[in-house]
Amino acid sequence: MNNDLFGFEINVWADAAARLGLIVGLMTVVVMGLIYGERKIIARFQQRLGPTRTGPAGLLQSVADALKLVAKEDVRPRSADPWVFELAPYFVFVPIFLMFVAIPFALRWEIRVLELGLFYVLAVSSVNIVGWVMAGWGSDNRYAMLGALRAAAQAISYELPLVMSLISVGIVADSFNLTEIVRSQGQVPNIVWQPLPFFLFFVAILAELNRTPFDIPVGESEVVGGPFVEYSGIRWSMFFLAEYAALFILALLGAAVFLGGWAWPLGEEWGLGWQLVLTALKAGALIFAVFWVRVTMPRLRIDQLMAFSWKVLLPISFVQVLANGLVLVYEPPQHIANILLAAVSGAGLLLVVWIMNHSVGKPRPRPVLSPRAATAPTATRSEAAR
Amino acid sequence: MRGLLKSMGVTLAVFARKPVTREYPDTHRPLPERDRAFPLLLWDHDLDEPFCTGCHACERACPVECMTVLMKDNPNHRTQGGDSTRRKIVDKFWIDYARCMRCNICVEVCNFDAIAMNNTWQGHETSVYDRADLIQDLPQLLAEHKAGAIKPWVPQ
Repeated sequence: MNNDLFGFEINVWADAAARLGLIVGLMTVVVMGLIYGERKIIARFQQRLGPTRTGPAGLLQSVADALKLVAKEDVRPRSADPWVFELAPYFVFVPIFLMFVAIPFALRWEIRVLELGLFYVLAVSSVNIVGWVMAGWGSDNRYAMLGALRAAAQAISYELPLVMSLISVGIVADSFNLTEIVRSQGQVPNIVWQPLPFFLFFVAILAELNRTPFDIPVGESEVVGGPFVEYSGIRWSMFFLAEYAALFILALLGAAVFLGGWAWPLGEEWGLGWQLVLTALKAGALIFAVFWVRVTMPRLRIDQLMAFSWKVLLPISFVQVLANGLVLVYEPPQHIANILLAAVSGAGLLLVVWIMNHSVGKPRPRPVLSPRAATAPTATRSEAAR
Repeated sequence: MRGLLKSMGVTLAVFARKPVTREYPDTHRPLPERDRAFPLLLWDHDLDEPFCTGCHACERACPVECMTVLMKDNPNHRTQGGDSTRRKIVDKFWIDYARCMRCNICVEVCNFDAIAMNNTWQGHETSVYDRADLIQDLPQLLAEHKAGAIKPWVPQ
């Protein structure tokens, strides 16, 4: 019962513990870096400087914030449901860490190679919504409950385009194994032949991460922070940690699935260092895009959000899956297949753009009032109310 | 959609610009020529003593009562064996910069041109950790003109 960890023969349990420790340590550092990076980048987007006072160029700001959060009192409202309230952060936190198991950083640099890696990541990523609803319910707070239900509705709606986009890529790659998907991209990454799934994926991860413009579950102006209203100190920081860890992991997933992971454009022969640099660059670009969208877009209304998912993204993602499936079944020559897929995908993307151009942003037609409703009785009633 | 792309372009253009933030306590923006900040006392470089005689004129005129002045006999007076013509001279002087409203009245009432408004950044600085640090005593009030840090008041 021995395993191989970086070339050492090691007991299975010790191996598991070592890998777990590595993940937790890496995640904490990465999340601190992400928070610092987000503050700096968003500051630059607003012509500010961001944190500068703590340590050189403000580098220690996240450490200071973490210390402050850990030192804060962990308050639980008296009317809260104790078990649900206390356990909710773990239910948000643990699934995110479980996602890490299948994510490849470089060749043979993942926790485990899973044959259904893509499927596993998707399955685990949707578990954490249970934690959100637990937080909302356990807090015994109306804003928290509203926020949690919004989060649940949104996560379930956007899970489907996310799954569909990744499934269509899995069909093209002929495998759900993430390493195989990276390898199958060869010369050209998936984003070129499959632009529509990439668009769907990007929009869906914005919604899954509750980031602007899809941040209605945690919108301060409407539900004062959503499910986290009643949380403070270490528990609140666990939610925060989970959020940024999810951002990091989904960006890594997107880099592996759509941008060619560690292989493109250098190929698999280059050393481990180059592969890690490539992965980090691609994931960093995705994360930067998320921040960029965050500073640009205003928040959507909940009906706009749901309509966009169910009426636009989901049907078009079905078309893409169908086209990819047909190509898989009839197996035309490789270049014809690529052109076919790119054509379908590009047409789908154009369709999404067209729909967004023609429906989003236009005021909805007002219901025409009947003459009777518009005359005296209504007016007097409204005046009486005044 | 075009609007979305346009707005993304706008934010990216802003990202490429230089931040406008000044890291305030470390860097200050240049002061205008005729700027006036808080009052300070002037140093008579010829006789090596302050111009101020401690006559209380500014203290009485101050609308916010931010000044406290004490007078003493000048040990450097001619009758005492020195070379000064000032019979009396300032003993102690405090100005509370937290109270001062920079009205310039003390400068106008001074009979000896002994007080003036600071036109350097040190005269502007009110960011301190303790309000007591804003109460300036005589050596502090004299230090800047003594060191030659004050620009002439009449611009060319």
